[in-house]
Amino acid sequence: MPFTNKPQVFNAKINTVELGVGDKKIAIGGENVLPFYTFDAPIENLPKIGVEISDAGVENEVEGIKAFYEGCNTVAERAKKAATMPGADFLAIRFESADPNGENTSVEDCVKVAKEVAEATDMPLVFMGCKNVEKDAQIFTAVADALQGKNILVLSAREEDYKTVAASAGLAYGQKVGAESAVDINLAKQLNVLITQLGVASANVVMNLGSAAAGYGYEYVASTMDRVKAAALSQNDAMLQMPVVTPVSTETWSVKESMASEEDMPEWGSRETRGVDMEVVTAAACLASGSNAVILRHPQSVETISKLIKELA
Amino acid sequence: MAKFITIGERIHCISPVIREAMNTQNPEPILKRAKEQIDAGATYLDVNIGPAESNGVELMQWAVKLLQENFDNVPLALDTANRKAIEAGIQVYNRAKGKPIVNSADAGDRIENIDLAAANDAIVIALCSKAGVPADNDERMAYCQELLERGMEHGMEPTDMLFDPLFLVIKGMQDKQMDVLEAIKMLTDMGLRTTGGLSNVSNGMPKHIRPIMDSAMVAMAMMNGLSSAIVNPCDLRLMETIKSFDIIKDNDLYADSYLEI
Repeated sequence: MPFTNKPQVFNAKINTVELGVGDKKIAIGGENVLPFYTFDAPIENLPKIGVEISDAGVENEVEGIKAFYEGCNTVAERAKKAATMPGADFLAIRFESADPNGENTSVEDCVKVAKEVAEATDMPLVFMGCKNVEKDAQIFTAVADALQGKNILVLSAREEDYKTVAASAGLAYGQKVGAESAVDINLAKQLNVLITQLGVASANVVMNLGSAAAGYGYEYVASTMDRVKAAALSQNDAMLQMPVVTPVSTETWSVKESMASEEDMPEWGSRETRGVDMEVVTAAACLASGSNAVILRHPQSVETISKLIKELA
Repeated sequence: MAKFITIGERIHCISPVIREAMNTQNPEPILKRAKEQIDAGATYLDVNIGPAESNGVELMQWAVKLLQENFDNVPLALDTANRKAIEAGIQVYNRAKGKPIVNSADAGDRIENIDLAAANDAIVIALCSKAGVPADNDERMAYCQELLERGMEHGMEPTDMLFDPLFLVIKGMQDKQMDVLEAIKMLTDMGLRTTGGLSNVSNGMPKHIRPIMDSAMVAMAMMNGLSSAIVNPCDLRLMETIKSFDIIKDNDLYADSYLEI
């Protein structure tokens, strides 16, 4: 019997969201098929890769990362360097040092760094916080204001601070807003409802559905993303049609497989290889589950995932 | 499963306000009722222009354009005995948000409306009746077969036919209600989609009873597979029941604000 291809093309599609301005501007989302189902229909925008740059420096990073940024002394210099990384589509600046329980870098200093980065590079910019809800809301508001017109994305607005973050970044300053939920599909939808009810256009919203390193509950991430994409495409659920941006590196570089030194775990082999492996397998799984963009740290991971995307597309 | 489809019934020439608006082609009352229904969560709007023997073509085209231009190509059910008016309505209809619905065909002298829907790539509501109410489910299913065959002969996808088992008024036909529900189950088991004029069941009941009765009936009918209904979307209790049922059936993903969307 001859094989008859029946393309599974949906009438619904994921929203297209643009980040950045000028020649380096990128678009994520826009597809009306399941992740990498290019045999059903072409994918409008291939998944994109962001490079995570922490304002805390690279002292604690593995050798490959240190070597890549050698000679760079500021966040802006590292951003400029990261823009040259093969496979990088955007930069994700993380204000790790702003944590009130850590260095407690001031909001003003974060804004200063953000401005320097925006001057140093024309790559699309994403800003990540320090995970302290109050401080993050202040930083995102101030940075969104300072970089008006740059079409940045702030990661993220959460249940606790979405009113402040979405109203400032999304409404007042015309930036893109990430709606963050921690592997909770009902909350993911609810946040999108609440943010759009504030008046933020759904085309200005992306979802950070949360992630986990492979082996650390990743199966919940996969089933969450599967269900989100199924609702968005097969049930035409407008409150789940926002593209998905997943910070991978912040998860994978903080598990023991990536942290333990070779002195402590000689039988595990090179720490750097382990760390890159964890980052690559988690990112690949996220992309296969539906992430429209992943954020990674190691140059080798960025290159590997970039190759994977191109070959699967 | 796809979400339940509500077809708003409130643009109907039996209402004096709407009849007057249609006679004088006055947009305001029609737009007002359309907006109320869309805001309340209607998917489709039914446009009933009555028999409209003399001016049906012109009136239907006016109504279709008026509603779609003002409400982002809201999908419509074109409801009249005047076949030419339905065809004319489809000619100016924008399909961006869904195919037009021909309301309606039956196994009697309106069977040609199936041909009309097939020729125009439209959805058709197919009443499982010939003349009057079917006596039992054997009769219902026989009409269903006739309608289905007619559609398939003309190249229709069975999923483009919405079979209407005929909801019956409880006051007077209380003993027939479980038959209707059983018919919905049988049609669903055949892989067919279903619809019906839900508010028939509570016809003649006091105003405060009707939402309660309609809600109970829609929940039972949805349990048996009912895929759409012609309803008054401004009935809040009914819409809350439908939305809740869509959640329970996993047709729609739960969020705390699900009643607001």
